[in-house]
Amino acid sequence: MSTPVSDSASRGAPSSAAAADTVVPTGHDMPRGVAALVFLRDRGIFILWLLLILVFSFWCAPYFFTWSNAMLIANAAALTAIFAAGVGLGVMSGVLDLSLPGTAAFCACLTGWLAVNKGVSLWIALPIALVCGALIGVVNGLISLQGFNPIIVTIGTLSVLTGLASVITGGLTIPGLDGLTFMGTRRYFGVPAPVYIVAALYLVGTIFLTRTRDGIRFMAVGGNAEAVRRSGIHSDRYKVMGFVISGICAAIGGLVATAITTEANPDASPAIIFSALTAVALAGVAMSGGRGSLPRVLVGALILATIANGLIIRGVQTYWATVITGVLLLASLGLERFIQKSVSDRLMATSNLSVHQKKV
Amino acid sequence: MTSTDVTTPALDLSHIDLHYGYVRALADIDFHVMPGEVVGLLGDNGAGKSTLLKVMSGAHRPSEGTIRVHGKEVSFHSPSDASEAGIQMVYQDLALVDAQDISTNLNIGREILRKGPLGWLGFVDTKAMRKRAESELDRLGVRTAPMTRPTEMLSGGQRQVVAVARSAIRVSGDANGVLLLDEPTAALGYEQTKLVEGLIRRMADQGIAIVIVTHNLPLCHEVADRVVILNRGRKVADVPMRGTDPDHIVGWITGARPSMFEDSAA
Repeated sequence: MSTPVSDSASRGAPSSAAAADTVVPTGHDMPRGVAALVFLRDRGIFILWLLLILVFSFWCAPYFFTWSNAMLIANAAALTAIFAAGVGLGVMSGVLDLSLPGTAAFCACLTGWLAVNKGVSLWIALPIALVCGALIGVVNGLISLQGFNPIIVTIGTLSVLTGLASVITGGLTIPGLDGLTFMGTRRYFGVPAPVYIVAALYLVGTIFLTRTRDGIRFMAVGGNAEAVRRSGIHSDRYKVMGFVISGICAAIGGLVATAITTEANPDASPAIIFSALTAVALAGVAMSGGRGSLPRVLVGALILATIANGLIIRGVQTYWATVITGVLLLASLGLERFIQKSVSDRLMATSNLSVHQKKV
Repeated sequence: MTSTDVTTPALDLSHIDLHYGYVRALADIDFHVMPGEVVGLLGDNGAGKSTLLKVMSGAHRPSEGTIRVHGKEVSFHSPSDASEAGIQMVYQDLALVDAQDISTNLNIGREILRKGPLGWLGFVDTKAMRKRAESELDRLGVRTAPMTRPTEMLSGGQRQVVAVARSAIRVSGDANGVLLLDEPTAALGYEQTKLVEGLIRRMADQGIAIVIVTHNLPLCHEVADRVVILNRGRKVADVPMRGTDPDHIVGWITGARPSMFEDSAA
């Protein structure tokens, strides 16, 4: 290929000859170390969870490794997992929506008010709540598109929505939503209802992200909105979509929380967004967007619940659970930095690898 | 290989003027590139070559002058007008989604959907997209890594190849388009530069018209058929690369050598 080219007629020849010689790499040309590091980055959280289960199984035997305890953990993780899906999907598309607790409270109170005070059927009230969550997302998105910082915008809407939720209920909780137990405390085949909801949400979300055109574009917009825009795609639509999906997840979360307690509470609990964020961060979803996977976020939420559950069984004060979670989170940041650096070092060392391969 | 009429320029700019306030950034520039031709656009810093490139890509509107694409007069109000007309600018840093693999990067915006009901729901045919990306890179002779490799794990040269190929795929259709490259080998090592140079030649051989803005004379020697040299907003030379003394080219770039076009130098 380095032959000096003389005239355009002969120019095609050396290059096409080189093309014919090219050894097409099969995927194994990535250095083994890099492949291992990438595996650790992408699958590390599953290994961590398995290790935790293993440790607790011995440490908390015979109470930890049982079906009923597994259901306890799954149920405890459910609410965090639903919000984590909202936060995670938002972050993947480059959007951090802090208004989720407000959206949840507002949608829950709206459903409660419609069902109890207005006598509207739950089968109408529930879809209204979901649509409402989506609309709140659209509003958040459209405001953010004006060039304002999404974090500040959603802090604003958090405040507005929390206030509006109280306005709807007159500042009190709306009790007596017994009709919602089918998605709250009821168990089907021994599995609590919220677990089914989480499973369905993550299944649909994962398929959306990895198999559909819009999902792939959605992720790509989070990674590099400009590149996507230059491919002739309206990247703004996908940013609004991030808020909409977050809003719908928050509405589902609010409804499930309401269903568990059978009362709609207008007090938004901002704490939920921090446990959701912890799960998302543990899952290695980059806050800059464009990276991450939903199954990992789910495992992140499960890890939080597993730690809390195991420590409770051992009789360790629950404060330690949050301490350990925090330490894990910080450690995962360190690990991620280390992996990133080693991968780039190794790739630098072999950056010409596939170019050189032709000649060997 | 190409069905394109080779006597009509793929892109033809005539009497282009561009003013920024009182500053005349481009003065009466004539420029054309034929299908399958590689034109190097040379000039010192501030000579107006990037500005001219932006006029071609639709980012700037000229104050005066006409632009023709395959003989048809056009007027670009935005870069998307230009890309619709078949003119693609290759952006270096902004072109790729790092976290996504090569196939996704090459296919985004023109995904292949699955057949049947799943396709109506927007499910993509990942296999078919990988195959297409593979064959497109094969056609350009630059299949350097598996399609499933995230672009962040490619070397600088491979990334640049993917970025260029991504634009090339978009302009090479029935009517071959124009590819605009701004310093395509900046920050690349020797081997990687060779990779990109090979790609540029192969794209030209397939009938794509290519304009390269560069400071890099060796690059022009390797790939360009013709060079156009700007000096302080004017075209001072338009010569075939072969048979032109490199010293003359340097002279035109620095302004030491008088313009070929006496009237415009006056």
